[in-house]
Amino acid sequence: MPTIRAKKPGETLFGFLVLAFSLFLFWQAYEISGFSALSSPGAFPIAASGIMVVASCISLLKDLKRPAEIGGFEVFWSNVLPPIVSIMIAIIFIFGIALDTLGFIISALLFLIISIQFLHQKGLVRSILLSLLALTIIYIIFRLVFSVILPEGIIPEREIMAWIGSLFK
Amino acid sequence: MKKRLIVALAALSIVAAPAFAEFPKKDIQGIIQWGAGGSTDTVMRSVTPHAEKELGVDIVMTNRTGGVGAIATKFVYAKKADGYTLLMGAENPQMYKTLGLANLDYGDFTPINILARGIPIFVANNDAPYNNMKEFVEYAKANPGMVKTGSTGPGGLTSIVLAMLDSQVKLDLTNIPYDGDGPALTALQSGALDVMPAVLGAAIEHVKAGRMKVIGLVDVKANDLLPGVAPITEDFPGFSTYLPWGPFFGVFVKNGTPQEAVDKLVSAYHTAAQHPDFIDLMNKRGFSIMNVAGPEAEKFLSTYRSVSSWIVHDAGFSKRSPEEFGIPRP
Amino acid sequence: MMEALNYFATSWISPELMALTALGTFLGVYIGAIPGLSVTMAVSILISFTFSWDVNNALCLMVGIFMGGVYGGSRTAILLNIPGAPSAIATALDGYPMALKGEAGEAIGLSTVMSVVGGFVGIIVLALAAPMVSEFALKFQPRDYLMLGVLGIMLVGSLSGNNLTKGVFAGAFGMLIGTVGLDPLTAEERFTFGVVELWNGINPIAVMIGLFGVSEALTQLHYMNKAAIKQKIDRIIPRWSDIKKYLPLSLQTSTIGVIVGALPGTGGDIAALMAYDHAKRVTKNPEVPFGQGAKEGLIAPEAANNAAVGGAYIPMLTLGIPGDAVTAVFLGALFIHGLNPGPLLLTENPGMFWFTVGNLTLANIFVLVFGLTGIKLFSKIVECPKGILIPLILLLSVVGAYAINNSIADIWWMLGFGVIGYFMKQYDYQVGPVILGVILSRLMDENWRRAIISERESLPDFFINLLSSPLSFVLFISIVLIFISQTPLWTKAKAAVFRKTV
Repeated sequence: MPTIRAKKPGETLFGFLVLAFSLFLFWQAYEISGFSALSSPGAFPIAASGIMVVASCISLLKDLKRPAEIGGFEVFWSNVLPPIVSIMIAIIFIFGIALDTLGFIISALLFLIISIQFLHQKGLVRSILLSLLALTIIYIIFRLVFSVILPEGIIPEREIMAWIGSLFK
Repeated sequence: MKKRLIVALAALSIVAAPAFAEFPKKDIQGIIQWGAGGSTDTVMRSVTPHAEKELGVDIVMTNRTGGVGAIATKFVYAKKADGYTLLMGAENPQMYKTLGLANLDYGDFTPINILARGIPIFVANNDAPYNNMKEFVEYAKANPGMVKTGSTGPGGLTSIVLAMLDSQVKLDLTNIPYDGDGPALTALQSGALDVMPAVLGAAIEHVKAGRMKVIGLVDVKANDLLPGVAPITEDFPGFSTYLPWGPFFGVFVKNGTPQEAVDKLVSAYHTAAQHPDFIDLMNKRGFSIMNVAGPEAEKFLSTYRSVSSWIVHDAGFSKRSPEEFGIPRP
Repeated sequence: MMEALNYFATSWISPELMALTALGTFLGVYIGAIPGLSVTMAVSILISFTFSWDVNNALCLMVGIFMGGVYGGSRTAILLNIPGAPSAIATALDGYPMALKGEAGEAIGLSTVMSVVGGFVGIIVLALAAPMVSEFALKFQPRDYLMLGVLGIMLVGSLSGNNLTKGVFAGAFGMLIGTVGLDPLTAEERFTFGVVELWNGINPIAVMIGLFGVSEALTQLHYMNKAAIKQKIDRIIPRWSDIKKYLPLSLQTSTIGVIVGALPGTGGDIAALMAYDHAKRVTKNPEVPFGQGAKEGLIAPEAANNAAVGGAYIPMLTLGIPGDAVTAVFLGALFIHGLNPGPLLLTENPGMFWFTVGNLTLANIFVLVFGLTGIKLFSKIVECPKGILIPLILLLSVVGAYAINNSIADIWWMLGFGVIGYFMKQYDYQVGPVILGVILSRLMDENWRRAIISERESLPDFFINLLSSPLSFVLFISIVLIFISQTPLWTKAKAAVFRKTV
């Protein structure tokens, strides 16, 4: 018999959120076509979200019975979501936003420099060089070899490439 | 060093500002509405290399699937009308308004080339006890609900052809939905379906191999690829109001694109579509080549829209009336 | 016979064709390894690229990419826990734990050899039994596909770790994610909240990259000061005794791979997951528990997904029906090159069949060559300092998610699921069942509805027909048996029976 693991801080709250989310989805699934027919577009979503509701209820009830880890919120910020994780999540979300406006090259370069500098901490010049190297490789593979047109943003890439191409003509 | 680079880049972008006398100045992006391997994809990827040669630049093709092509259509519409973004699509956008999928259709785009048109036919499982449309209709009447037909979603070819049939004779068929004519034709061979309308090109090889049979040709005249199959108008003259009708493939740019760019593209694709390889390909596949642009293409597009929109509306599965958009009855 | 051999050898005796196959396989391994770049995409780009080439040259390159690509997905799955493609999801489950223990080299070596074994099984079945298998595959009715889906979803049981309830929740959540978007059958909007970008649904690959890659990268941030794992790279070529020991299992899962691959509508991803489930059921006493680096869990999906390549060719060559997404693009390529893909393809071009078989064999050998070289270099990736590796994984995840469909929205889904996956892991929810649900959702949803519409909404008719068709009956019985054997009911019953007999 395995020993019962103590609850991590926030686990009960997460359980409640999961249940609320499942109930919301169940309602949305019902809105698609109600209980009109076994073959309706909503039938499968109703079944799936129904299972979600039941499963999340059971696991919430189980969680409520388990003892909580001591320490409360402080432990949450140190064990579950330490600053390093929340900062990285923030950085990558800002990268996502910048990608559309600044374009891939600039935003990805900034993202790499900042995050390598933040996590690796071995000097700015090294971070910049590493970032440039990595970005060049990724750009060559995706943009040039596989013609994935990455968001161009403010750098007129296609014009530059046409210009470079014209040099060789 | 870095500063100088930025200055150089800035200078470059000024140099590259639009000067349309020399269209095209850079690579062109082609947005394909349907996924890799589908008929739209294949047609576009086979004609475009010939057009690239005419234009002297690359046309980078990307598949942007989803929402029966609406995602690609909206994407191209959101881009600048400079001729550097082409919409490579099939017939679907002409139904968007009536089906409530989008407020766009090909009326918002300038046709560069309507390349080819497909011919709808009725195919049936080899074991089906009927061999032509008349027998099929009699059988379906005698066995209400027992005949299983494939459908490929509202607004798809199968739904429209079945709606045309429905306007002539009321039948009780069981409609089993598939996500595309490929999977549906496979199901027809496995016996999961009995009969379905399909485009000739998709079914022709299976028919030739004797894996399914053609029971009707939805056109006004007989077809060389299908000897001995009478056009449907012989049994159901009422069909002639809708025909000739069929799905098509075309290349478009957003309205408002400079005339020089449109002209260059039109002439490039016009030449490309005359390439013997392409013609051979289309013939083998049972598509009729159209290769039209300008007023002729626009007329074809608007006829298609009228017929399909009203058929769908009369059959009762439109979200909004074609009248709201000023689409005239055929 | 001589003629067949002649066609078979076409690509072996021409240096040009051989070089192209090698190049294709090499490229394929890396395309497969990079999440977001898929074989489907690469092959369709190649169609316009090889447009003016001779058809044999183009096919050699594409076949190489296909074979190499399916194998390549395992690379990043093992090294970084980011499956390069959905067919490598099952590989990550035990491959990544091996890398965490410093056994990345051994894992890659073993997966390479077993991929090649699987590849050969696929090719042999294709060569010897193609017409038979394709007729069999055509027999599958919607209800049979539904039951295949049910068989697959039962894998939730083995993917849930020690918390089955949370695993079931995660599986159902995945199935729900799979239904988002315009319903492919009726174009009804489901969970789209009026947003057009959601019409196309949430891309499974974006979900996969987020749940596996990003959430793992975020989790790794907890252990920043732990030194990177030193990889043992002395053993790359697997021990002969290991190969002998696991060969029976890989042959079994290869068979699963061929059949699932040959079915139009299911491909290597589902094959690999079912193979993993099979391995877990038949392996009584694994040296290492499943999920913690069991070699059985690594080789089973790898053999199956490469066997599915040969399988996918079966309906394509004999009937002109694609066995999966890649062969669908191949059909387009054949068409552009002036061949008429369809059931008459082999009648009109009798050489095509043996040429393809020969070509696949050659590509499979190259997989072995390219797979076993460069492992040392690759294993080094894991030794790279975390401060550099984690930003790179995150960037690659972003680019990969974008590359799927050139859409920023996919990046947001990927990141969103990355963060959700991170919290799920913190609170004891496994992410495996979510992606399982996503992959199987459409198969189950569509075929359930087709099956029940065919019976005109009558459940009794559905079951009567299910029990009267031999194929459906067999599938149904296997579901029931597996279900019973996995639930506590079985152990209780067994105990009760034993007590009586003793």
